[in-house]
Amino acid sequence: MSLALGLVIIPLLAALLMLLWPRLARGLQLAAALLCTILATMLLQLVQQEGSQQLFIGGWNPLLAIRWQADSVTALLLLLSAVLHLLVSGYALAVQQRDKLAAAFWPLSSLLLASLQALWLSRDLFNLYVCLELLGMVAVALVTLSGDKAMRPALHYLLFSLFASLCYLLGVALLYGAYGALDLPLLQGQLQANSLTAAALVLITLGLMLKAAWWPLHLWLPAAHAAAPAPVSALLSALVVKGPLFILVLVWTTLAPAAFLNVAAYAFLVCALGALLLAGVAALRTPYSKTLVAYSTVAQLGYAMLALALMLSFNLPVFTAALWLFVMAHALAKAACFLSIGEMQQTLGVKKVAQLKGASQTMPLAMFAFAVAGGSLIGLPPSGGFLAKWVMLLGLWQAQQYFLLLVLLVATLVSAAYIFRVVVLAFDRAEPTAPDFSPQLLPQWLALLPALAVWAMAFFSMPLLAILQQELS
Amino acid sequence: MLSLYVYFTLATLLIGFGAYGVWRGPELLRRILALNIMGAGIFLLMVTLAYRPVLQGEPADSVLHALVLTGLVVAVSATAFALALLGRILQKGKA
Repeated sequence: MSLALGLVIIPLLAALLMLLWPRLARGLQLAAALLCTILATMLLQLVQQEGSQQLFIGGWNPLLAIRWQADSVTALLLLLSAVLHLLVSGYALAVQQRDKLAAAFWPLSSLLLASLQALWLSRDLFNLYVCLELLGMVAVALVTLSGDKAMRPALHYLLFSLFASLCYLLGVALLYGAYGALDLPLLQGQLQANSLTAAALVLITLGLMLKAAWWPLHLWLPAAHAAAPAPVSALLSALVVKGPLFILVLVWTTLAPAAFLNVAAYAFLVCALGALLLAGVAALRTPYSKTLVAYSTVAQLGYAMLALALMLSFNLPVFTAALWLFVMAHALAKAACFLSIGEMQQTLGVKKVAQLKGASQTMPLAMFAFAVAGGSLIGLPPSGGFLAKWVMLLGLWQAQQYFLLLVLLVATLVSAAYIFRVVVLAFDRAEPTAPDFSPQLLPQWLALLPALAVWAMAFFSMPLLAILQQELS
Repeated sequence: MLSLYVYFTLATLLIGFGAYGVWRGPELLRRILALNIMGAGIFLLMVTLAYRPVLQGEPADSVLHALVLTGLVVAVSATAFALALLGRILQKGKA
């Protein structure tokens, strides 16, 4: 478990050192990101060989201590966030002078990684609250890096985030008042199906849904994510919204009494359908390219919700695998989308979708990255998105949910529509938008890397599924 | 026993007022204040929950006290951050 401690302490220490010596910030950022990726790989291997690892911080007994646990899903998520942090840092390093990226980006993004890693590891309701609050505040601070125009969306984001955390905290206080424990494995199976538990779970769920931008509580997301600089939007959309999602899955799979599962599954199902269809249509209608990608995040989270709802109602292991595959594929694809769109926006000096005309001529690499990542969002083979969708379709077939199969098909068409809205324009060669300066190759390649990673996910489907299945057995 | 109910009612009222204020707005400062009132209500609830064993002659629940202290630190820093952001927005409005 010293590996897990290292994964949290290294980025934390790096962030502090960056504040002390701003000159070293960029080197420290890369070193910390690389080290975290290596440690996360080692931890994943360790978990695969020896099973899940546990740590009681400070060596207290379980009633008092904070429990950290690295099982295979946590190890995968740790690796995912470390890799994404590395890729986004690489892109940020390549463009920082041109885009005048504020120096505060380096310590803040390292803090973001530290709080996220702690969140993946923690199995204590209150510790999760602290991680969530840290994550939210760092995310807001990152949004403000865009300067004055981002202040208002950032403050709205902060207020929503604080309100959501308070809802979560109230739910946790009620649970502690009734059952006298905060440790998730200790609470497992203890909760009775009474109205107090129901109220606590509703509060926790509402708070987390608000934080994870689940439809219909997503209204803060498009403004905040679209206002931030491109590397920040990539981190926010790819990773930050996944944190609350992880806690939500933990709470509903380990805590909730069986009597509540059906009602919750229905509620999640309705939200999932709303997200997949309505947020998809919103992405289709918005005139701004970054807002389009942000709405697509809301829509894509619908798949995760759908997987969670199905997990609760059918208890088939495929849905758990589908959920985490979606999370990974979406994180990589969305990072590539935001980086490539950001790159095109900067180079062409435009904000609207319509102005991306002819981008396949002027910036072929960036457009290629967007198209590959978009292919994964749609679920075209071969890609991580396809893998996740395929696993989910298999599950739906097993559970004989033909109506949902149809819904999934319609949702796929909607996502194809908003991705192709951009791609088709890019191939319109008549009067392409002229770049403000000659396109740079290195940032475009770096934006392509996450897209290639999501492509590669399809080729590692067997080991990935094996790791996720290990968790279930 | 009676005091326990008084505190629980008070906490519920504070949380209710706070939530209403956040929802109703519309001024940003009012929302920030309302969030603080809601937070105070939740902390009062937690302290009251910690007080329950005292009625049976046992020491108070120190875990909850620790949680409230942590929560206060989080709430103070979050409020400071929100006010700083609001200050920037208002300054820009004047200029």
